[in-house]
Amino acid sequence: MSIDNPETMETPTGEALAEAPILTEVLPELPTVMDEQDLIIETRNLSKRYGRLQAISNLNLQVPRGAIYGFVGPNGAGKTSTMRILTTLMKPSGGEAYINGYSVVTAPREVRRSIGYMPDFFGVYEDMKVWEYLDFFAACYEIPEAQRPGLINDLLELVDLAHRRDDMVDKLSRGMKQRLCLARTLAHDPQVLILDEPASGLDPRARIEIRELLIELAKMGKTIFFSSHILADVNEICTHIGIIEAGQMVAQGPIKAMRQQLMPHRVLVITLLGRLDEAKEALLHVEGILGIVDLPPEDGKIRIKVEFTGEDLRMSEMLQALTSKGIPVVNFAEESSDLEAVFMKATKGIVS
Amino acid sequence: METPATRTRISLNPLRPLLRNPVALKELRGRMRGPRAFVVLTCYLIVVGGFTTLLYIAGTAATYNTTGEVDGGTLGRVLFGSVVAIELFLVTFITPAFTAGSISGEHESQTYDLLRTTLLPERQLVFGKLFSALAYVFLLLLAAIPLQSIAFLFGGVDVEEIVISLLVLLATAIFLGNIGVYYSAMTHRTLRANIMTYVTILAVILVTTAGAVIALAIVEGLDPSTSSSGSEWVLLVARGIFVCLNPLTTLLSTQQYLVNQQTLFTFKYTFTDGTTTTLPSPWIAFTIFYLLLSVVVFFATTRHLKRIEG
Ligand SMILES: Nc1ncnc2c1ncn2[C@@H]1O[C@H](COP(=O)(O)OP(=O)(O)OP(=O)(O)O)[C@@H](O)[C@H]1O
Ligand SMILES: [Mg+2]
Repeated sequence: MSIDNPETMETPTGEALAEAPILTEVLPELPTVMDEQDLIIETRNLSKRYGRLQAISNLNLQVPRGAIYGFVGPNGAGKTSTMRILTTLMKPSGGEAYINGYSVVTAPREVRRSIGYMPDFFGVYEDMKVWEYLDFFAACYEIPEAQRPGLINDLLELVDLAHRRDDMVDKLSRGMKQRLCLARTLAHDPQVLILDEPASGLDPRARIEIRELLIELAKMGKTIFFSSHILADVNEICTHIGIIEAGQMVAQGPIKAMRQQLMPHRVLVITLLGRLDEAKEALLHVEGILGIVDLPPEDGKIRIKVEFTGEDLRMSEMLQALTSKGIPVVNFAEESSDLEAVFMKATKGIVS
Repeated sequence: METPATRTRISLNPLRPLLRNPVALKELRGRMRGPRAFVVLTCYLIVVGGFTTLLYIAGTAATYNTTGEVDGGTLGRVLFGSVVAIELFLVTFITPAFTAGSISGEHESQTYDLLRTTLLPERQLVFGKLFSALAYVFLLLLAAIPLQSIAFLFGGVDVEEIVISLLVLLATAIFLGNIGVYYSAMTHRTLRANIMTYVTILAVILVTTAGAVIALAIVEGLDPSTSSSGSEWVLLVARGIFVCLNPLTTLLSTQQYLVNQQTLFTFKYTFTDGTTTTLPSPWIAFTIFYLLLSVVVFFATTRHLKRIEG
């Protein structure tokens, strides 16, 4: 988790920061090998208009099976509209959408069997206990009565609500309701989870709990398609990302490729004790350097910014070029091209 | 293992086949939980019981005055008829209140989308909502049977009449419940669904009552010398339709035929030229018509819910 992220900075107790190392340990276990051609969610020229407002235009969404796909975009970009079409709640005005190979228009029942959906805003029934709530939805998903008690226990265990089993649903906290709703989406063991801003309105701890849950679900083999405007979430747990702006897909793909595609320039900051001109001279012989800019000195040390393209090998070559001449390098680090930058670059602020 | 789930299943066993419907189970559970169900039932019985007592007092006074002694049969029939009329009135107002919020309420509490993305068939949703509301209305009707039966003490009322009145009340409740759920499915606002339901019901009552009264007046004013039996048939059928569309006129004329002709299922009509014909009693036509119409409305509601919003 990046320290300069405002989302994590606001945590008053530092819980989020304290939890972070656990998360980063989990991250390398994310599913990485997947068939990019095996699309579990696919839309072709999907469009939706509300009266005169074109909310989605020619959207081609491609979510490979097993991916954790972050669907990012500013408010009003069309994320919720897209999800409502994918979940058979709304008809598209044009184009096609398929889930697991089934058309959302002509085979809604098969689509519903394949998906678990959590809307951005949802209510819970007032006069129900937690286990009754899950029992009700399990029944709606045609789970045989005999299997339900065991299933409910498993689901409550998974979302860490087993101790609230007999409480009334409407008395739960927002974070617990969110987790309960997530448990509900899993009742019929769907292959895809479609989650509309699953972390919105939650405190940092609850947000991390949801995030951990998503990673756990991904490990169970579920494809997760979720929308968010919290870039940290997307950055940390996604294998794929799609950026939507004003109803159009600006960019999408595996997260690594996205970083390279949208941020082809890599930036290196080098701190020296002296011999600036020699250093510049040495660096210019390395391939792929686009430019060198002087930065204001810090504590009397000289700092330069080097823009370059290419692999990590270039960096090692640069360092070698400097040290072989005995230039006193004290710091040599790449400025991280975080997703925030990708996002700001991709979205031009058409939607406010 | 004795979990709450298994306990509930055992205690609700007699209703089990109907409670396969998750919506019906959930609604009944919610409706019967807490004091509301008890309060409504109590109020209902107080209203019906109170009116019955008043009518009893007024009725005994009235029958004393005219004949010098209590005419048990008439008093019994008046009491019975009044209880049924009050029940009819209450059913007419309670059933829509129980159903007009059934689907729109899911929109208002933002639970509809969750329900809609499950595999629950639309017909089960509609049936569950309807069944749970009607089960409660049925409970109210059953609870008032002892009050109807007070009429037995005075004579003049048969068990068949109680059964017929229950059938008519039930058919009325089923139809009104379907109308309520229909409008509830058509809009996302419970208030609007309520208004549309009550306006529709009021229109049905007004039109059928006015129609029956007018047709009756024309039939009675017929001049035997000028009317053909053909035109009389048309009027008879027209009057019959209006009478059989309104539960109150249906019950009244059914009772009238029962008292005058002692027949439960049919009645004889004598034309002005002296010929007679036998026709089915109004309650049969009423019950069949409204049950059929209920099925039609039910499928219209289901069809509407099946549509994916544009
Ligand atoms: N039912 C509707 N009727 C009319 N316009 C709508 C409707 N739903 C959404 N819109 C409009 O469509 C556009 C896309 O809305 P949508 O809710 O899909 O965006 P979003 O990406 O989910 O935004 P947010 O991040 O705020 O949730 C917005 O301009 C919105 O005003
Ligand atoms: Mg949204």
